[in-house]
Amino acid sequence: MKHLITRLGVLLCMLFFATSAIAQFTVTGKVTDSNGEALIGVSILVKGTTVGTVSDLDGNYSLNVPGESAVIDFSYTGFSAQAVEVSPTNNRVDIILKEDIANLEEVVVTGLASSIKRSNLANAVSTISSNQLTGVTTQQTVDGALYGKLTGVNIVSSNGAPGGGIAIRLRGISSLSGNNQPLIIVDGVYITNAEIPSGARFASGANSGSEEGASNRLADLNPADIENIEVLKGASAAAIYGTRANAGVIIITTKKGSSGRTSVTLDQDIGFNTIQRFVGRRTFADSSAVAAAFPNDASAPVLWQQAFEAGEIFDYEEEIYGETGLISDTRLKISGGNSKTKFYVSGGYRTEDGIIKNTGFDRFSTRLNLNHKIADNLTLSSYTNYVNSQASRSFTGNENEGGLSYGYNLAFTRDYINLFPDEDGNYPDNPNAAGNPIYVRDRTTNEENNNRFIQGFNLEWNAYQTDNQVLRFTLGGGFDLLNNETFVYVPEDHQSQRGQDNGFVAVGKNKIFNYNYQVFANYDYFTSNNISFNTSVGVSYLNFERDFILNRSTQLIPLQTNLQQAGAQQIAQTLEMEEDFGIVLQEQINWDDKIIGTVGVRFDKTTLNGDPNRFFAFPRASLAANLANFDFWTSESISQFKLRVAYGETGNSADFGSLFTRLSPVNINGNAGFIVNTSQGNSMLEPETSTELEFGADISLFDNKLGLAVTYYIRGVDDLLYTRALPTSSGFSSEIRNDLQLENRGLEVGLNLNPVSSPNFSWVSGVNFWFNRSEVTQLGIPDGSEGEDIPSFTPPGVAFGLGLGTFYIDEGSPITALWGSGADGPEIQGDTEPDFQLGWWNEFKLFKNIDINFLTHWKQGGDALNLSRLLTDIGGTTPEDITDRFADATNFIEDASYFRLREIGAYYTIPVNSPFMQSVRIGVSGRNLLTLTDYSSYDPEVSTKGGTGLSNSIEVTPFPSSKQAYFHLRLNF
Amino acid sequence: MKKINLLYLFGFLMFFASCEFEEQIDPNAPSINSVLTDATLTELNLLVTGTEANMRNGFGNYVTSSGSVAREFYLFDADPRNTEDLLGKDGMMLDNNTFYLTAPYNTRYRVVKNCNILLEALENTENVTEAEKDAYRGFANTVKGYMLFQVLNLMGENGIRVDVADPENLGPFVSQSEAFNEIVSTMETGFSQVQNSDFKLPLSVGFAGFDDAESFGQFNQALTAKILTFAGDYQGALDRLSKSFLDLSADIMNGPQHVFSTASGDIFNPLFKSPQQNGDQIVVHNSMLEDALPGDQRLNKFRERDNPTSQDGLNGTHETALYASSTSPISIIRNEELILLYAECNIQTDNPGEAVNAINVIRSAHGLPDYDGSTDKDALIDELLFQRRYSLWGEGNRMFDLRRYGRLNDQFVPIDRAGDIIHMQFPIPLTEGQ
Repeated sequence: MKHLITRLGVLLCMLFFATSAIAQFTVTGKVTDSNGEALIGVSILVKGTTVGTVSDLDGNYSLNVPGESAVIDFSYTGFSAQAVEVSPTNNRVDIILKEDIANLEEVVVTGLASSIKRSNLANAVSTISSNQLTGVTTQQTVDGALYGKLTGVNIVSSNGAPGGGIAIRLRGISSLSGNNQPLIIVDGVYITNAEIPSGARFASGANSGSEEGASNRLADLNPADIENIEVLKGASAAAIYGTRANAGVIIITTKKGSSGRTSVTLDQDIGFNTIQRFVGRRTFADSSAVAAAFPNDASAPVLWQQAFEAGEIFDYEEEIYGETGLISDTRLKISGGNSKTKFYVSGGYRTEDGIIKNTGFDRFSTRLNLNHKIADNLTLSSYTNYVNSQASRSFTGNENEGGLSYGYNLAFTRDYINLFPDEDGNYPDNPNAAGNPIYVRDRTTNEENNNRFIQGFNLEWNAYQTDNQVLRFTLGGGFDLLNNETFVYVPEDHQSQRGQDNGFVAVGKNKIFNYNYQVFANYDYFTSNNISFNTSVGVSYLNFERDFILNRSTQLIPLQTNLQQAGAQQIAQTLEMEEDFGIVLQEQINWDDKIIGTVGVRFDKTTLNGDPNRFFAFPRASLAANLANFDFWTSESISQFKLRVAYGETGNSADFGSLFTRLSPVNINGNAGFIVNTSQGNSMLEPETSTELEFGADISLFDNKLGLAVTYYIRGVDDLLYTRALPTSSGFSSEIRNDLQLENRGLEVGLNLNPVSSPNFSWVSGVNFWFNRSEVTQLGIPDGSEGEDIPSFTPPGVAFGLGLGTFYIDEGSPITALWGSGADGPEIQGDTEPDFQLGWWNEFKLFKNIDINFLTHWKQGGDALNLSRLLTDIGGTTPEDITDRFADATNFIEDASYFRLREIGAYYTIPVNSPFMQSVRIGVSGRNLLTLTDYSSYDPEVSTKGGTGLSNSIEVTPFPSSKQAYFHLRLNF
Repeated sequence: MKKINLLYLFGFLMFFASCEFEEQIDPNAPSINSVLTDATLTELNLLVTGTEANMRNGFGNYVTSSGSVAREFYLFDADPRNTEDLLGKDGMMLDNNTFYLTAPYNTRYRVVKNCNILLEALENTENVTEAEKDAYRGFANTVKGYMLFQVLNLMGENGIRVDVADPENLGPFVSQSEAFNEIVSTMETGFSQVQNSDFKLPLSVGFAGFDDAESFGQFNQALTAKILTFAGDYQGALDRLSKSFLDLSADIMNGPQHVFSTASGDIFNPLFKSPQQNGDQIVVHNSMLEDALPGDQRLNKFRERDNPTSQDGLNGTHETALYASSTSPISIIRNEELILLYAECNIQTDNPGEAVNAINVIRSAHGLPDYDGSTDKDALIDELLFQRRYSLWGEGNRMFDLRRYGRLNDQFVPIDRAGDIIHMQFPIPLTEGQ
């Protein structure tokens, strides 16, 4: 009944509105910040309606308000909102907005086409602004820039080479089947973050593509173009993304132009890469020490003595890793627009040399973002990004007899052997290892070249609007086209090539084409008693295609690098096609910003599942109560007290190809044949499902000078997809199964402080504290019911067997534990999960023109398995005494705690109030300048197996991490 | 108004929801199901070639793992476990989930699986005649038996699984003796199937001269004779030798081979190591040089290194020269070994004269004078094992020869580092869940 009345009211309103017969009055005023500066573009809205305006260039506004009295909301990005009662007699309202330290007003995307104010949000969604992302120092890659800035995020680097090789893990392990990387959406486009191997493993003998240390393709995105990054860490926030969101979702929004004066900014950074630390090499006091170190090598002391007398004892670690790499990053940004069209154009060129000669990364990118109002109610946005990136990464990490990986061969290389070329350019063989690292550095090539085009678009149509309802349609989507080329060359006279492959060339031509679109209808309805409804209905379609071709040639014609100039060729092609289709329904109800509830569901189907047309449902529900907005709340010092709880489910399907049992091609003497593939497919696969319950509280105190957000989550994964080793007597070595359960629990605490805020000095500080704990809760199906109970097992490919330490799936144990062979079988010997992590962010502003910022990151606990050390022990090059050490995992599991000065920067802005130039900013900054750790190798953040699956914190001779120092110059026109 | 909106919504949802995905087909490779019903001649031939090709995969590890345990040589490469685990450094036991075991084990069974798929495919196709089917069956059973024999050699008294056709329902581990019986029976089945078959299998040039029903049958019997000798059934072995290609007066190198090439998708001889290469080398155990008889041409299998090499407390002066290049073939079984098996079975069946005769064929082929030692059984066994040691060096026999005669211990095998132990057999792989 009431509903009917409301509707009738609406209808009446419309009628009256059309004839302007209803009572109304005008409110005017000015909006400023606390320093008295006018605020332009502040949104001014009659509460519970769609009637509103924005403030003009001087901060003034004028608004016609229907009725006899009303409440007007003032909101502006970066400032706390205010609500003021107005009436025909109280119609001059000047407002001073306060800066929103706790980001309560920030709009957070919660659905595919809907958003919500942070103060009303029921999830802990982390947002990184462009200032936090790139404000302190220049970033190499987007993922690298997130280190320590978010709670619940664990970032590992598989490769210290310029150009990335980084894995992001949100709230622990969510999948074993490879995909632990979050879904990444840039301006509505589902972009690829693939690690594309170059085939270097066929020359180095590495076990898999993941050991090649390839970069992940998020490296192509220019961090300077990013306006903000939202991270949906778990299923409760990401449920609306359905079947691809198990590992979380990262939503990246790039910068837009704003109307007004055209602004031109030119940035130039110059910096240097240097190694973070040298591990050191074994040195000898005299030849008897050499004899003792290599008891079975009679020539060793003699050679050492000769070298010593000739002054030819080298430090090959410094020789290889000791370069200072020059970095130059140039960026030009032009943005502006008018009331109809806004634009943002940018171009950037970054070139960076690594700490190993002949390594480096170049990225050239351009972007054009356009927003155009076709009509008052129709807006088209277009986001166009072209990137060319090139990397030269040389050879690092694990290998087997390839004689290529620097660290691997340095472990066996003796410093008294001269490996430098003679005057004719002939490189001596390394008598103690499979390759001469000096030769590898000077003569071999491992490069990639990417051409990438990302296009996003969004069409928004306000189809229908009255003062209490809005119907909006959005059509969005785009594509990501990546052409990746890889090139690996090892000449025929390389020590490990001679007599075997006689030279190696690998040329990869890889194409990834992703496209997606979504259509949504969004209906907002405001009732007179301050309840608003937001209904979203829509569909989403994704299509991912990959075509990877790798050509390899061996038996090369000397000095030739063309694939054809060779005696033997191999071709490999991998095709993958994936399609997803989803239907989304979501309802959000907001009672006067007091209680906000959301329910939603996504139905998804994907060709990765056994039945490609079966829909799986991923529901969500959440509730937030802003206690401080209730009338009974009288405390002035506590401006926000929100309790929230959220539940959601997401999915993840098996990797492409898991459904099939293949026959693989083989060849003998030119005759083709086939043999059954070692992985047994499963045509019945269903997606694994992550369910998450998250609850927490957000509190703001003392005029938002102190904000606290506490979140606890329980995140389970059911029907976990995993590759399990089969009894190999079956002829198969692995199968995909769907029956493992895992649970992650964790606490995240974020604290925002603004202790001092005066015109001449302000200090903003943020502390992020978090930890995660995991447990395998069930393995297989327990006895007594259908199916079988699975015994504990080592997942294939995560490490190097129990003898050297590995991950091991055992019911009741953490999934992150490192196991080794103990006296009574496998036992836990370490755990890669940190006890906790703590990031501390500080921003100081002095006299309006000096900015000093820094970020520290403390990771407490969490072990790493240092197998580099195992190799140097065997090779006799470990710097310290190893007499009592035995090749057992316990000796190589080390505490990888660290405290690191992640970022630090200081800037001085010189105002130049000329018609041509507005300001000049100069500054210095650094990344990873200081690390305190007991970990004995290059960097406690390691992964020799790339970013996939469980792999994390296992080290085999990585590309050493570097630190960077920069000088900055910015010209603002 | 609202009704109209809902209609709109409904309309476009229906439009998009009608999107129907097709059943997925693997774009990258044929599926196993494609050959299990109505296999064509081409598909059957592809399975045969795939089977022959993959017998070679993992054979390198079979030889290096067993040869290291038997101290024929050391494998000096980047993996420390070749000189630690395999040589029992400081009493270290063999790991049940490491490449030196899993590589040969998995690859042998993968070939068995391919043979079983071939056998199953033959039951469900009418595209070839029964006589043609028998050729495929004979081939599949011969290869399957031989692969299981190699696995049994590694596992020794641990026994093996023989019935592995159904991956969901694997047969039990059976004892060593039972496994021998089943393997021999598989070989015999293969032999009888080949006998009168229409044999046109697309075998590689490695099987030149062994690619018709009669000669492939001789190959089958040669392998069966070896298996029976290892099982201790010497009379049975002699019977099979008579039906094999044993020929005391023919070239001792005669026999089918694994061949290698640089063709796309093909592999190299895994046991070839570049001359003087460091970092990945098969280093001859010094005892091989110390124990050799002067003038033995088999010393050509060893090449002196420019620089003696050492690793992990072990050293050597010579490296393998068994294969000339990365595409040199590897013998599967050759007349030389058949002559030695013939000698062994004659010793064991108390026919020393014939045994010495056979041994002398081998000795003279390698530039050595006739045997002039005692002809009592023990002395002849010593001589036979000595000849096998040099004739079959680096071919994956020594460990099992020593074990058969109770000599896989420190009385007969040199210990190079204090604390090293000698392994009797490889453990059952972890994944078998035993």
